[in-house]
Amino acid sequence: MIRARYVAVRRFSLVRLLLVLGAAFVGVGLIWVVATNLDRLAPLARFLLVAAIWLSLLVGSEVLAARRGIGDERRSPALGAARLLAALAFGAVVFQAAQSLQVPAYEPRLLGVWGLGALVQAYAVRGLMPLLLGIGVASGWYVWQVAESADSALGFVAAVLTGGVVISALALLHRSSWLRGAGLPRSFEVAWREAGALLVLVGLFAAALPHLDAHGFRWSASLVAGLALGAVSMAAAVAGVDDRWSRLELLVPVVALVIGSGLVLWDAGIEDVRYLSGAAYAKVVVGVLVYLATAAWFAVLGVLRDSTRLTVIAALALVVFTTVQAFAVFAPIVSGATLFLVVGGVLVVSGFTVDRGRRQLTRAVEAGAP
Amino acid sequence: MTARPVRATLGVVAAVQLALVGVAVAGPLSARVTGEEYLLKVLPVDPVDPFRGAYVSLSYPTLHVPAGQDDTGGSPVAPGETGPVFVPLVRDGAHWVGGPGTRTRPGSGPYLRCDDSSWTLRCGIESWFLPQDRAVEVQDAVVRGDAVARVRVDGRGNAALVGLEVSPAG
Repeated sequence: MIRARYVAVRRFSLVRLLLVLGAAFVGVGLIWVVATNLDRLAPLARFLLVAAIWLSLLVGSEVLAARRGIGDERRSPALGAARLLAALAFGAVVFQAAQSLQVPAYEPRLLGVWGLGALVQAYAVRGLMPLLLGIGVASGWYVWQVAESADSALGFVAAVLTGGVVISALALLHRSSWLRGAGLPRSFEVAWREAGALLVLVGLFAAALPHLDAHGFRWSASLVAGLALGAVSMAAAVAGVDDRWSRLELLVPVVALVIGSGLVLWDAGIEDVRYLSGAAYAKVVVGVLVYLATAAWFAVLGVLRDSTRLTVIAALALVVFTTVQAFAVFAPIVSGATLFLVVGGVLVVSGFTVDRGRRQLTRAVEAGAP
Repeated sequence: MTARPVRATLGVVAAVQLALVGVAVAGPLSARVTGEEYLLKVLPVDPVDPFRGAYVSLSYPTLHVPAGQDDTGGSPVAPGETGPVFVPLVRDGAHWVGGPGTRTRPGSGPYLRCDDSSWTLRCGIESWFLPQDRAVEVQDAVVRGDAVARVRVDGRGNAALVGLEVSPAG
């Protein structure tokens, strides 16, 4: 009874890190063993061996959860690591099956199957670690699939931002009236939200690079399917939430998708950043302003939703974006000393603005508004 | 969770995940189990897949998709058009070669179900995975031009590479 209420977070954070890292290394090692193609074993024997390891890990992790009466990874770092290992081992099964049957190399569908399997495990056992792996692998699959078939920088940007829309909508679905009674851990909603924000920031980061264009772009079935899924999940989330902050949370990724794709489609004739035309300057400035506004929004959202990680992700994204833009775009235009002064000034002002906004928002939230 | 729900949950998770593995490899699995075998000439390319290791990448000089009419009942391939394409197999001595591709499924077989959306025609038989130390050796042998792929093809055009036969150097 007492143990059920006990949440050991800080005390065991190092243990958690070691266990998760260890599980990740062992899981990746298992996939690597598959990649070494041990031909002393027949292909079917190799598949059965890897499948037996996966099944043992899957059953073992849930036996661990049931025996200790834990069922929650926050109370047992070992449980999270064991579930992560089982989810990684499922990837090894997928790749071993594909290798045994000589499925052609670089097939994105295999990542999709792995990600989907990890998500099935996550929701069946309420496991956060398989969920994180599943979101990451499934996102990787979708971007790869669309970018490969679209054959253009616009395809990559559109895929990442569409993924951001879908995942952000899924995050909101977890707090909507549809799923509120399903008994899902709050950490699931947080994980989807952080992943959605990360994709939106990565997509806008790429869209703001001045040299990217839509050359060679062609629509693909996977991109259309992603947009359709985004529309459906958005509609479901809108219908299931009733506060304006949640609706704004849904709107930002959609606006990012539109503006990000628009930036790549905007042919400002940039060939050499040392000689920018008026239109080219406008494109660069719009890209920077949109990125700064979006990162600031996610920093604020982190405070609103009590997600320190989201605020940290937004702040880090801001620093990386400012630095890359400064050196890739503005360095050829201004001298080294000016560049450092400008970059330093922008970072200090950004940090000060974000911190000030965070304090004000925290006070507002603590005071009961919004 | 009590023991019974845990067992049921695990059973469902394992069954769904295994079904997903089946979906991932459905084409080549069907070809291996239900297909007929054909011999095709191959040329090599090379490299490593990060998840499955070393492989020899193969191209098929006798498989191509020329635009034009065909006599298998399918609609012809229009110039500039890409997507799923069906390539009929025609016997040429000891081996099989590709006939004119069609966008619709031919009325009779054998044929390969391919896709020409990317830079090369992909029929699901372009990679031969093997240990790193043997990849170079096999590739060298394939470069000599005497390699033959043993391929199984089912009634729907799904293909699986089941063997790579290389004549000894000499």
